[in-house]
Amino acid sequence: MTFAATIGVIRAEMAKTIRIYLSYPIIVVFWAVFPMLWVFPFVFQGKALVGGMSSPAFEQLTGSGNYMAFVLIGAMVSNFVFSGLWGVGNSLREETYWGTMEYIIASPTSPLVILVGKTLAEAAVTTCIVCLQAVVISILPFGISFTLAKVLPVLLIVGLLMLGFYGFTIAFAGFTLLIKEAHGWIHTLEWVFFLFSPIRYPVQVNAITQVVSTLIPLTWALVAIRGIILLNRNEVSLGRTVFILLVMDAILLVAGWLIFSWLERKTRRDGTVGMH
Amino acid sequence: MEERAREVEGSMSRATIEPSRPRILARISHYAVAVWAENIKEWRLELTYPADFVRSLVDPVVYLLPFLLYGVALVGGRTSENLHRLAGTSDLVSFITIGYVFIGFMNMALWAMGFSLRKEQMYGTLESVFAAPVPRWVFTMGMSMHSILHQFLMIAAQIVFIVLVFSIRINPLGLLPSLAMVGVMLVALYGIGMIMASTTLIFKQGWLISEALASILMVLTPIAYPLAVLPLFMQRAALAVPTTYGIMTARHFLLGEAMPFSVGAAFGRLALLSVVWVAFGLITFTLIDKYTRRSGTLSHY
Repeated sequence: MTFAATIGVIRAEMAKTIRIYLSYPIIVVFWAVFPMLWVFPFVFQGKALVGGMSSPAFEQLTGSGNYMAFVLIGAMVSNFVFSGLWGVGNSLREETYWGTMEYIIASPTSPLVILVGKTLAEAAVTTCIVCLQAVVISILPFGISFTLAKVLPVLLIVGLLMLGFYGFTIAFAGFTLLIKEAHGWIHTLEWVFFLFSPIRYPVQVNAITQVVSTLIPLTWALVAIRGIILLNRNEVSLGRTVFILLVMDAILLVAGWLIFSWLERKTRRDGTVGMH
Repeated sequence: MEERAREVEGSMSRATIEPSRPRILARISHYAVAVWAENIKEWRLELTYPADFVRSLVDPVVYLLPFLLYGVALVGGRTSENLHRLAGTSDLVSFITIGYVFIGFMNMALWAMGFSLRKEQMYGTLESVFAAPVPRWVFTMGMSMHSILHQFLMIAAQIVFIVLVFSIRINPLGLLPSLAMVGVMLVALYGIGMIMASTTLIFKQGWLISEALASILMVLTPIAYPLAVLPLFMQRAALAVPTTYGIMTARHFLLGEAMPFSVGAAFGRLALLSVVWVAFGLITFTLIDKYTRRSGTLSHY
């Protein structure tokens, strides 16, 4: 396939995925509203345990005692991770349910190209949802403000985070070709991310979670983003975070591509691609 | 002649009254067999995927830990003075663990029971289930039996892990009364599960309703915080939710949590909620079942 044809396929896949998304507008509303609702139990838990909206113990660990802002930023950024897991990681499984998987396999396009189209569409939709959430959060009195000086480095980090993470989800999509029913595994992965990255709590509170979390790009991204938004310190650690994320991206993208290609070859050879 | 007529009438009325009792018993035993068969079928299906079964026992522990570690990060230890002031217990690990252990039953009702019919549809067996000579509620009851037993296994895994790692301290004498209250809560949750199961008959992809309802109930139910920290309108809404009473009384018996109502009042309200939710669930289910049959959309995806 020529480069222009490949771009055409990616564009068509993006248009198809976004069209399917917009056919169920209630799902878009759900993803815009409910991740914010999931933060409320943490806010009430904080109020019950601390008695106010700031915690000295939390400040010792994170540099800011504003636990509500901590959890809200975690919820917003983690949207990229979870939408990637469901939207890209589970996408080939969905094609199997729709009965269109065989057409993808039989077409002269590599499934990897289709996945790139799905990834870009998912990234576009999630970015819109997160921007909407950021606008709402900055209006409400949560102690979070977004200025241009803060938004630009945050966008850079989010871009780098998504790049590597979508590499991981492409590998996971290959995994679904092998194991078929991945619904439960995606939930487990969600909870593993909740446990080993600082989405909802500072991982340095426990030695094991602190060590394991350093292997996950989301940890580096969240620490840097919170540093920029809550503590106004972007110059000090931004270069280091960007370097670490770039290295992780390179590893995850190459590994994702290799794992997906290998699993696709294997399932084609075994003749199990069309199985449920 | 009259005497003979009275004799015949008497024997006929005896014939209509006396065999009716065995008929009711036979029907109950028939339903019980169907419930048990459904339960066994679900266990067989589940144990066909052993890796997935093991994963389902590890998941609840992984799910619980961030809530505990968040609490520890907030106060810098496992005791909170403010929690003691609000709930009469300062051990946040025990407080949060018991809350999340029992809220698992709500997730079970909303997801496992709610999706029981959708699952049958995906397997292609929904029509066979609907054609079986038992009412549909018997089928969902069998499904809920499996879910409850599974939930107990998950609770056991959570408790073993938490006891080994965090050593929670509970009052052992409170175990039986708290299980009794949780049992009444399960009846109410069965009603909610029926409603969820029926919504999947109409909306097919009912995950959105289950997810939305679960999210709202997770905020309203005082799982990791006492009722007093909720805004007033949410406190009022929480009093209509069966999990509020189930979890608060369980913690009251096991940890001595102070409640804004007496145990008797909690039991009375929970029993009332159970009747209301089950009645509402059965009526909703029957109406939607009739509607989907009449509109011919039962087998639609």
